[in-house]
Amino acid sequence: MSAPSATAAEQSLSSRSRSLQLLGIFSGLTAGAWLGAAEAPTKLVTLGLSPMVISLVMVVGVFLARWSLPALILGASSIRADARRCPHLIIWAILAGCLWAVANTLTVYAIRDIGLSIAFPLWNSNSLLGILWGFLFFNELRGAGLRRWLGVLGGTLVMSIGAAVLAIASSGAHAAGANPMHGVLAALGAGVLWGTMYIPYRKAYLSGMNPLSFVTFFTVGELGMMSTLSFGTLGAQNLFAQISSARGVIFWLMLGGFIWVIGDLFQQYAAKYVGISRGIPLSNTNQLWGLLWGVLVFGELHGRSSTTYTQVIGGSLLMILGVAAIAFSSASQQESSQWRTAAQRESQRYNLSCDFVEARLDGRQSAGEVAPSRGLFDWLFVALTTAIFMYFGTTARVPNLSAHWTPAIFLSIVTLILLAACGLRLWRTTRFQ
Amino acid sequence: MTNGTDVPQPSRNLLASVFTDIQFWVPVAVLLAGLLLLEWIR
Repeated sequence: MSAPSATAAEQSLSSRSRSLQLLGIFSGLTAGAWLGAAEAPTKLVTLGLSPMVISLVMVVGVFLARWSLPALILGASSIRADARRCPHLIIWAILAGCLWAVANTLTVYAIRDIGLSIAFPLWNSNSLLGILWGFLFFNELRGAGLRRWLGVLGGTLVMSIGAAVLAIASSGAHAAGANPMHGVLAALGAGVLWGTMYIPYRKAYLSGMNPLSFVTFFTVGELGMMSTLSFGTLGAQNLFAQISSARGVIFWLMLGGFIWVIGDLFQQYAAKYVGISRGIPLSNTNQLWGLLWGVLVFGELHGRSSTTYTQVIGGSLLMILGVAAIAFSSASQQESSQWRTAAQRESQRYNLSCDFVEARLDGRQSAGEVAPSRGLFDWLFVALTTAIFMYFGTTARVPNLSAHWTPAIFLSIVTLILLAACGLRLWRTTRFQ
Repeated sequence: MTNGTDVPQPSRNLLASVFTDIQFWVPVAVLLAGLLLLEWIR
């Protein structure tokens, strides 16, 4: 290749890389909005249900969403093709799902024993652990330079402090549980499990697996482990009795799970295009959105002291500052080449096609790859999921809550605009690869 | 490593590749520790 054409190719690569980085940042922020919005339907549930039952029903909604959305967007044929190319990642995805379920259960015990205000900052350490694993295993932040290191690490720390302040402001006084030490260990354990869950995420995307394929296998581990823990903790009889008594709120919980999956899908794309060290802190802005829903729609901080409002404003500003620091620290060419080295390791170890891995890292299909298409099975599954949601929708009880509908509509519109804008950008840039 | 765009044949050593990958054992160890912790605090 002559010198001018080599320079043109480098510029084109650099432009593509920048475009993907921006897409990853946008995906992370959209993920935050949707993960935060997922809390809204669950706030409609005011029955004295076991947290384990609430989690299990939400995970059922999650399971349906994780199979129907990929079927709708790309079709099951694309998922089958990915599974054939990278069969080892099925094990990794199920493992990640199990990690999520155990972490989620630990948070229940942490909140019970030490309250949300102490538990949240402890398990929020997951993004710091994500940075560590990203650096150790996937060459993230290698060759990034001091400015980017400060941006990512400093931004994450500032976000964590902001999140802690918000958690303290938004939670009421918590009566000490039976064993506070158990609560602290449970919260730290949840952070470690969630932080480690990002290892399979990153591994999958460095190997070229489509995020939509990964989540369909992830949810098998998620639902399997959650069901096992629920049966083990409550016993079959008690579990079914509680689910039966919760018939009126099953729809809201499953809807929360469905919305959560949309956010999680964007989180997966963020992890793919900006790595876990940047993608995870960005999507942790869900706490900010959850607070907006709680304060504006459900009037959660109504009548609280001015100190609380100061904490909320201060914590929110800190989170926004941290997000800005991370967003302006996107990977350099040098760091991106380190990511490719990590991807080569995966190719060699697991006998993957180099063309395929390279293409998927660039967010495109490899040459000769069959374009994804939807078949009868996909439409049947989408119809089945719709029917299940419609059935529970008809049995749902509308709770007698005094919610403010104007801000609810406004927040819904903003969230939908983010979905449309980021979804369109993902489609145009990567065709959801 | 394969160079074509066709689907690689599943390797006989697929499981061996997974089980000898240190990156696999880190999440497994963390999962087991998490389950033990859950059992202990319940």
